[in-house]
Amino acid sequence: MMATRRTFFKVLGAGAAWALSPATKLGSMPTMPDGNIDFAVVRGPDAAAAVKKAVSMLGGMEKFIDKGDVVFVKPNISWDRKPEQAATTNPIVVETVVSLVLAAGAKKVIVADNTCNDARRSYKRSGIREAAEKAGAEVPYMEARKFIKKDLGGEVLKQWEVYREAEDADKIINLPVAKHHGLSNVTLSMKNLMGLIGGRRDLLHQKLPECIVDLTAYFKPDLTILDAVRILKANGPQGSTLKDVVRMDTIAASTDPVKIDAFGISLFTDAGFDNDLALFPHISLAEKKGLGTSDFGGAGYQEIKLG
Amino acid sequence: MKNLRRGSQIIFLVFFLILFVQTEYKGEDELGMPVRLFLDFDPLIALSSLLASHAVRAVFLFSLVTVVLTVILGRFFCGWVCPLGTLNTAVSFLRMRRKPKHPDDGNFPRLRKIKYFILAFILTGALFGWNAAGFLDPISLTIRSLAIGYNPAVNGLVRSILDFAYMTNIPGISPGADTLLSFLTGTLLAFEQPVFRQMITIAFLFSVILGLNFLAPRFWCRYLCPLGALLGVIGTKQMFARVDVDKGKCVSCHTCNRTCQGDATPFPPGSWASRECLVCFNCSDVCPVDAISIHPTLQSTGDGNVDLQRRWLITTAAAAAFSVPIVRLGEHNKRPHPDLIRPPGAINEKKFLQRCVKCGECMKVCLTNGLQPTLAQAGLEGLWTPMLVPRLGYCEYNCNLCSQVCPTGAIEKLTLEEKQAVRIGLALFDKNRCIPWAMGRNCGVCEEHCPAPGKAIKFFDVEAVNKNGDPFIIKRPEVDPGLCIGCGICENKCPIIDIPGIRVTSVNESRAEYMLYM
Repeated sequence: MMATRRTFFKVLGAGAAWALSPATKLGSMPTMPDGNIDFAVVRGPDAAAAVKKAVSMLGGMEKFIDKGDVVFVKPNISWDRKPEQAATTNPIVVETVVSLVLAAGAKKVIVADNTCNDARRSYKRSGIREAAEKAGAEVPYMEARKFIKKDLGGEVLKQWEVYREAEDADKIINLPVAKHHGLSNVTLSMKNLMGLIGGRRDLLHQKLPECIVDLTAYFKPDLTILDAVRILKANGPQGSTLKDVVRMDTIAASTDPVKIDAFGISLFTDAGFDNDLALFPHISLAEKKGLGTSDFGGAGYQEIKLG
Repeated sequence: MKNLRRGSQIIFLVFFLILFVQTEYKGEDELGMPVRLFLDFDPLIALSSLLASHAVRAVFLFSLVTVVLTVILGRFFCGWVCPLGTLNTAVSFLRMRRKPKHPDDGNFPRLRKIKYFILAFILTGALFGWNAAGFLDPISLTIRSLAIGYNPAVNGLVRSILDFAYMTNIPGISPGADTLLSFLTGTLLAFEQPVFRQMITIAFLFSVILGLNFLAPRFWCRYLCPLGALLGVIGTKQMFARVDVDKGKCVSCHTCNRTCQGDATPFPPGSWASRECLVCFNCSDVCPVDAISIHPTLQSTGDGNVDLQRRWLITTAAAAAFSVPIVRLGEHNKRPHPDLIRPPGAINEKKFLQRCVKCGECMKVCLTNGLQPTLAQAGLEGLWTPMLVPRLGYCEYNCNLCSQVCPTGAIEKLTLEEKQAVRIGLALFDKNRCIPWAMGRNCGVCEEHCPAPGKAIKFFDVEAVNKNGDPFIIKRPEVDPGLCIGCGICENKCPIIDIPGIRVTSVNESRAEYMLYM
């Protein structure tokens, strides 16, 4: 019984397009009891409900957050773009996560990102500052004085400036948005961690896969929730026209950043990547480093549809 | 009255500083504040721009308010409103505490005419299309000096002190400094430490103007200020504030002259110069025998106005007229300077120079600190006009703040949509420096940041050969000149930290006469 289901979910995970087709009634599939899985995918138009469901499928936020924790939530706020442009994490996702974290007993939630465009504009236009503050988070700008040089112990990144408040936080929750990226084809959870460091980040692009794997190994996010409510399929990572944005109404949550990224890639099947993980060297590098597995559809995978 | 005047000076100075601090992005695409208000009410800016550009703008009407009030009240603006006048008063106050050596210590009535010659020079120059008013107009001068000179210095000082306190990691002090700095950033201080070319020069020149107050009280206002001269001419016949000295009562003590802010010589009776009077009320307040009254009258109460000597005025005007073609000579007229990237909305260069008063508002408000004062790139005529220096800051795609603050329309107000369609320059790769071209490694930071719809920088997978002769695939970036708007973010973010692998120059700007790419 178990083996059949595993096989079934593997097949399921391989084709996102198939999963999206109206003929598939995922909601009616037999489900595992909440808390016994480590990769949850929820599809549905209500992003807040999807995030809540995904987290509860993983066992609830209490499983990741201890009472009194200082939690650093890292959405993608890199660009001075509106939520519809899918260049930044959906503010509803951020808001929901912050309230879940606070409800789980966290003492303080910090939401911040080292932005590419002007921080004030990006925080504002993305809607993230307003949403996160509404939910009770602190949303500081990453100021230069708060980057401290740390030994990252990476393959490429030996030493780098790290944002102090992320460094000092008890837990890190990574909230990437799934989008196209010219150099690395897609940007997902691991690349999102670049927002926790300062310095001349543009230098990292010459060995991007190695660098983002080093960052993932260093920060080890306690939970990653991928925003694929809308995905940006071309002209990323900041996007421009709405033509490149596709509505996916999908949220994926896991403690395994490699699974998240492998799943995220599958969302871009029609973008010409053909789900070929070889095009994404950071996946295999991360696997080699023991940060997770790209077999996201394996044991512990569950997908449901809401609404 | 003296205290009333001081109150007014303080209120207007504070108001001026509030507007100055508000000349920054404050969370909305549109600045909610009329930050350039003082410039709008400045008749010298309006007159010189009007003469130089032969264009009437509705906003110039504000300055008529100042003109009308000056006709009635005389140079009240200098005495009661002007922020530079107030700063000069404040510095003069330090000087006046010392004991005067002789009755007219610090008064140099013969220097008074200098400011009229300066005014004549500026207005004649403007008539021939050279708008030099902004160099010496007190409002423009003060905003520029504060924005480019003093503000970065104050920011740097406060930041370094608080940063140091933060770095000490002492309980109480470190978090306190952190909180204070976070609060100050974006309120009183700039969001990020501003850095300007020529900061020291411009700050120094302003310090000299303030320092002149030690030679004579309000030296600048009395002897140099072209706006003061203009207001003096407009307000010569003021009716509501004429100084009258009662010959019978006067004991010739010179106290009035010594405290006169404008060197308007109330003493001896009948020598009062209405054009020099800053309506400060010092003379009537200090007169020990109450011989001086300031009251409305249609009668002449003094004949001490400056004799400008027509031949000198004509000489000055002629000098200005002849200097116009000369200041325009320069290499920039032979070929456009590649570094001269004007902000989006900047009108045709010739007209731009006729309008721009170098007030520095656009540079103060620029989000990324990319707008910098020119030195020689636009010739002497264009000294201190704004240009984008992409290595220091790029033009933010969704921002049009600079066009919102320009007082003269040198930078036209554009909607965001219009602004995003304006090309201010063109990026081109230096393939000898660009990492994927020169070093055979992927990079692509420029492509990542390019905001133009469809991306003006595109990747092409190309088979290249490494140093050992082995083929490999690399993403090589290319610029699409049809899409590039010249915003400069590619150059700004290029990892080659000194001379970038991609550079934006002014070629192909929308307002250019000739396009490279047609």
